Amino acid sequence: MKQHSFSTVAALLFATSLIAPAITKAQAPDPKGIEFFEQKIRPVLAQHCYSCHSDEARAAKKLKAKLYLDSAEGLLDGGESGSVIVKGKGADSLLVKALKYDGLEMPPTGKLSDEIIADFTKWIDMGAPDPREGRKPGAAKRVINLEEGRQFWSFQPLKSITPPDVKNADWNRTAIDRFVAAKHEEKALRPNGPVSKEKLIRRAYFDLIGLPPTPEQIAAFVQDASPNAFEKVVDELLQSERYGERWGRHWLDVARFAESGGYEFDGFRPGAYHYRDWVIRAINGDMPFTEFVRMQIAGDKLLPDDYRGAAATGFLVAGPYPGQITAKTVERIRYDQLDDMIMTIGGSMLGLTLGCVRCHEHKYDPIPAQDYYGVASSLARTAHGSKTYDPDPAATQRAVEKHRADGEPLNAALKKFASEELPKRFAEWQKTELAKQPETPRWQVLEPVTVEAERSWLKMLPNGIVAHDGTFAIESNARRRPRAARAAEEYTVTTHTFQKNLTSLRFDAFTEKSLPKRGPGVSGDGSFELLEIKVTARPLDRANLSASQRALAPGQSDQAESSGGLRPPARQDSDKPIELKLKPVFAAFEDKDQPLANVFDGKPATAWVVRANAGKDNAAIFEIEGGLPGFASGTELTFELNFRDLGIGRVRFAMSTEANPATWAGDVAPQHLAEIRATLAANNNLIPEAAREPLARWFSPFDLETAKVFNTVRDHVNREPRPSLTEVYTTIPGGQDVFLLRRGEVDNKQGKAEPSFLQVVATAADKEARWLPKPAAGQPAIDPRIGLANWMTDAEFGAGALLARVMANRLWQHHFGEGIVGTSNDFGAQGERPTHPELLEWLAAEFVKGGWKLKPLHKAMMLTAVYQQSNDVSPDNLKIDSQNRYLWYHKPRRLEAEIIRDALLAVGGSLDTTMYGPSLLDNTPRRSVYLRVKRSELIPFMTMFDAPEPTQSIGERISTTLPTQALTMMNSPFVRQQAEKLVARIRPTADVPLETAVDRAYQFAFARLPSKEERDRMLAFITQQTDANPNITLTEFCQVLFCLNEFVYVD
Amino acid sequence: MNLPKTNMIQLPSRRRFLQDSGLGFGSLALASLLNQETNANPLAQKQPQFAAKAKSVIWLFMTGGPSQVDTWDYKPELQKRDGQDLAGADPKTGFFTTSGKCLKSPFEWRQHGESATWVPDIFPHLSQHVDEMTFIHSMYLRQNNHAPAAIELMCGTNRPGLPAMGAWMTYGLGAENQDLPAYVVLHDTRPRGDDQIWSAGFLPKTYQALTLDARRKEAIDNLARDGKHSDAQQRAQLELIRTLNQEHAATRATQADLAARINSYELAYRMQMAAPEALDIAKESEATHKQYGMDQPECATFARQCLIARRLVERGVRFVQIFAGKGVGGDGSVNDVPWDCHSDLQTNHRSNGLHTDQPAAALLADLKTRGLLEDTLVIWGGEFGRTSDSQGAKGRDHNPNGFTIWMAGGGVKRGLHYGATDPFGYKAVEKKVHVNDLHATLLHLMGLNHEELTYRFNGRDFRLTDVAGSVINEILA
Repeated sequence: MKQHSFSTVAALLFATSLIAPAITKAQAPDPKGIEFFEQKIRPVLAQHCYSCHSDEARAAKKLKAKLYLDSAEGLLDGGESGSVIVKGKGADSLLVKALKYDGLEMPPTGKLSDEIIADFTKWIDMGAPDPREGRKPGAAKRVINLEEGRQFWSFQPLKSITPPDVKNADWNRTAIDRFVAAKHEEKALRPNGPVSKEKLIRRAYFDLIGLPPTPEQIAAFVQDASPNAFEKVVDELLQSERYGERWGRHWLDVARFAESGGYEFDGFRPGAYHYRDWVIRAINGDMPFTEFVRMQIAGDKLLPDDYRGAAATGFLVAGPYPGQITAKTVERIRYDQLDDMIMTIGGSMLGLTLGCVRCHEHKYDPIPAQDYYGVASSLARTAHGSKTYDPDPAATQRAVEKHRADGEPLNAALKKFASEELPKRFAEWQKTELAKQPETPRWQVLEPVTVEAERSWLKMLPNGIVAHDGTFAIESNARRRPRAARAAEEYTVTTHTFQKNLTSLRFDAFTEKSLPKRGPGVSGDGSFELLEIKVTARPLDRANLSASQRALAPGQSDQAESSGGLRPPARQDSDKPIELKLKPVFAAFEDKDQPLANVFDGKPATAWVVRANAGKDNAAIFEIEGGLPGFASGTELTFELNFRDLGIGRVRFAMSTEANPATWAGDVAPQHLAEIRATLAANNNLIPEAAREPLARWFSPFDLETAKVFNTVRDHVNREPRPSLTEVYTTIPGGQDVFLLRRGEVDNKQGKAEPSFLQVVATAADKEARWLPKPAAGQPAIDPRIGLANWMTDAEFGAGALLARVMANRLWQHHFGEGIVGTSNDFGAQGERPTHPELLEWLAAEFVKGGWKLKPLHKAMMLTAVYQQSNDVSPDNLKIDSQNRYLWYHKPRRLEAEIIRDALLAVGGSLDTTMYGPSLLDNTPRRSVYLRVKRSELIPFMTMFDAPEPTQSIGERISTTLPTQALTMMNSPFVRQQAEKLVARIRPTADVPLETAVDRAYQFAFARLPSKEERDRMLAFITQQTDANPNITLTEFCQVLFCLNEFVYVD
Repeated sequence: MNLPKTNMIQLPSRRRFLQDSGLGFGSLALASLLNQETNANPLAQKQPQFAAKAKSVIWLFMTGGPSQVDTWDYKPELQKRDGQDLAGADPKTGFFTTSGKCLKSPFEWRQHGESATWVPDIFPHLSQHVDEMTFIHSMYLRQNNHAPAAIELMCGTNRPGLPAMGAWMTYGLGAENQDLPAYVVLHDTRPRGDDQIWSAGFLPKTYQALTLDARRKEAIDNLARDGKHSDAQQRAQLELIRTLNQEHAATRATQADLAARINSYELAYRMQMAAPEALDIAKESEATHKQYGMDQPECATFARQCLIARRLVERGVRFVQIFAGKGVGGDGSVNDVPWDCHSDLQTNHRSNGLHTDQPAAALLADLKTRGLLEDTLVIWGGEFGRTSDSQGAKGRDHNPNGFTIWMAGGGVKRGLHYGATDPFGYKAVEKKVHVNDLHATLLHLMGLNHEELTYRFNGRDFRLTDVAGSVINEILA
């Protein structure tokens, strides 16, 4: 892309003013300050300080502490002891402390007068106005030239490359081979031919899924003579779920994934494993890499209120973070946290070392500090935390639908019962029992017909109590409708009555031993804060009943209803309910100044608070002003309770038809009998056909058969499936503005930073606006993290080309042992240059063209001649290229820690392939990717075999050889156990000849048969061991196999 | 194709080869700097850059942070002004909030030795060795909580994932005794920070500490098999492993790591013998047991740890670190930070004195008798000091701004007091020594230049001393 040519400095200024305009320039010092400096400060500096702290001192080799006090810049930069002045804070400045002989003693020749020290204090308090220009010498500032920087190979746009023509057409199979072969020809190297099929399949299995092939899998491949036999193996492995576990682990290395905070208490993060699971799922699903990146940077913003988005941004917060923060360290720790995110994004995705830019311009790469703080600002509103999600809302929805369908036959049975059985049973009861029933009590308990809550799930108990069932919904997922302004929880309970002339209502809140502090509130202290109660009434018009209401109000299921069980149907305007005007009469307990009356004062912010009086059953009664006459078809009464925080554990509603004033006095009993009496009274002592189904409810306490059918329906409704909610460790809102820090010091702020990206890989004419456009009027602003993700995945004008190169290189690295760029986390000037630049370019371009899919890229790499080469080492080639930089043979590699353990389990036949879920200690037979990663207590087996310290992005693991590794293979109970298990596989019964057992063990462990010599030697060993102790014969032999290099190396 | 034999090919020494064998890039620079042939064994003993004063270090880590003004930094002014305002006190220095009022030391102080060093009565044994010690009274660091401070003190900077100094030293010097690990950590209850304070960090795991847990009586995992088979059997097994591994390696001539792995089985076999022997304190005389205090329940654990430490350095272990475990307790401090005297420093320090004083003194005496003190550097100190003002009525909060450590033996002056805190012992004011300076000095004593001991990780050459540190020449003997 063409750019105007500016001088170096102009280019920077241009960039500064347009790309990151928000880094506010310090104001010009006022003339008075300058005058003060010239009169009081400069003479002292010149007389007492310059002899050791100036360019002249440096020339005379007298410079001390790398501190220059002869320029404004030097003074601001400070020296070895850090900053010497904190603008505006004279007393806190090291310079003043040194003058005061507090810690340092300057000048060493003798303490200056208090007056001079006071001048310095005052001058720094004024902001240290300093007109002196000139640059700090010595460590001369490198001026970053972006235009020049963009010429560096890795920062250029992707080029379109044609694979070269090569002479050795016999060897190469694919385009990739032609790039490699061209280098061979250039260097006069003769590449190897194909490796044996046994070795090839072992190589492919370990590379793609990290497990050895079974003897059967080997045999199938060896016997498959078709030309695409290997392609079939590769395809199969790429479809295996083990693939995501293997390659997910590679990504977890670069993501410095761990499940604890490190530092003081290394607090465990129980929800952190969701990120690991997300990575495995994404890789198994071949998620386009751009989406993979976008989700990790901004998943919570791209898919708000979605488990997947939250799990993905576990990436940003996977780093270490102190568990105990003191007031003195809080701000610095926040910048540490941002630094951790930036370093990880840099290393894992962009192949750049960004951490050093926190304190100074990048020493080698064209990355000025303002770019670092621009990225930091994009992350500014990102904090660590946990949120609750339904990991599979679709499954929950399916379960709800199934539940509804399962309810249909129950409803039908109730309906059938109501029309066929109920009338005669009721008639009999009416004749013999009704007259013996007691009088209607003052307080009739209303039986709930439907219950729902905003943030939790409620159930209906048989005694009319509405109970919180202990499940809380996701806070951010308002499940139903907008809540009252200040309410965090809302209960809605509907009840039915056929009685007339209601006068008063009663509300009970019960304690229960399962509630926190026995309740009645669900809050930790058993309290509740009830903001408002709203009661509405309307005709029991059947057409308006929801599915679940229908289930309990039989006879209505013929009215087809499409809306889900979680949502009530849309109401018609004509159904508008009447709100009852209530007058509070009594509450059993009220906290001081927070009375029941607050519920009815029309102010949503005030509440009836029961905290001081928590732990006791509570109740309140209200009069219905003017009474409620009731509707001819029956009345639906709906109670809406708004709570400030959480709700009440056990709630019950009751009504009265007795004349006011309302009073506590009198019995409390279910409404059923009165409903029966009311229905009979209105219908000449008979039950009309239309009233049969409601009657099932009212009659059920008096008739076992009715109760059975009716309760079946109610129990089913109570069993409505809940989502299986889980806590995810993820990004949560939080954080503060980010400032550009001089030398990375929080006391040295240079102005607020605004979101911006790395200019060297940002060539769009419209700059940041391309990725982070200003929202249209009235639209919410785009989250800067989405902007960051947009920029990172923009292959044309953003960092996408670099991103593609870095990832294509990682794939190559794990297939060939080493990347085309050897330093897979550093594509900058300090990193290595690509051995095959055109090949990397071509791979990156193919990757982008193919929709950023990894699986085709794996396949392209593995179907090559270069991948399938043998391990033979030719002395001639070795003389030319001893390091195999040009890939003339396939280098054997030691397996990683996880794969050694997995291979032991697999060969022992004990591997459990259960996927996902909370992490485990290493006494599990599951794959090692599911082992716990607690920073202060890493699993010894993993650490011993070089699993990395999960504190920074790791692109290349080191492979060490330690005697403790040998001790483990020789002596550990785990290895011993797998040896014993292998024995059971190779010689399940004593009639299996030892030769066969040895052969089979070789196949399991090495994917090959032993040579005759090897077999004989092993048999001799077994015999010798048998002589000594027959019980351990074959186990010793199997353990020997595990101790062999061949077991932990793949050719 | 004809397969070449291993010895026919000159193996190049190069970065990747070194990485494969566990030696990082930085060490190549070091290796050439040391003018020494590259060895496939990354733990092979390396010559120091210049004459070393010390061959081994034993750090008696006083976990939890002992109070300087109640141990080795006597402040008459503080004793006089008990209960008065402490000028310039910052109540937020530590983890909680302090009173700002001076709290005098509750102990009886007396001067000892030719150096006339003031010692409180909680150290009746160590007080007899003050003339062997160099005290640095002006230590400071930046973190004010246990784990971060311990990480800073051990790794140079408070950031997890960095190598601890024991790992750096092993990386720089290799192991003197190939049959034993070069870097050993002894602990009781694991201190705050756990593995992070003795981590090999980004260095190869070759330099990882072997940790010995007092609660498990210093057992080493996988050191021995279930005992069902004889040594002859194991030898036969190892012979077979070696033969087969050699055949495997012969056809993979460029893989130097294969040879190292073959060797590792030999080393492991020898370690099986050597480690139990080194840890077997039953071999010590009863008099020695008594000298260390093995017969006293108050200090038996620390005594055993000190005695093991002596046996280890005697056998060439490079760096031994003992994290002092719980004392007798009684002030409410917790096991993983025994010196953490927030509520009652007198009870706390007395109990920790009982736990550590006699064994530490015995260690000095024993090393001296055996002529080991000359090239063994013994260090006593915790992750920070305490406030001179009180927390609550009788406690002290964390204080990283000034604290004392002492060293004895290998290459340091005897009976020297270096640096000073203010008259109340609150802050280091004179000849301040940061952790980086201490590390520079320790590396110097071991014959290493701290600016040249580097390791490249994620694009940067890291040092134990980060970008700072100066050798404290005045304390060198």
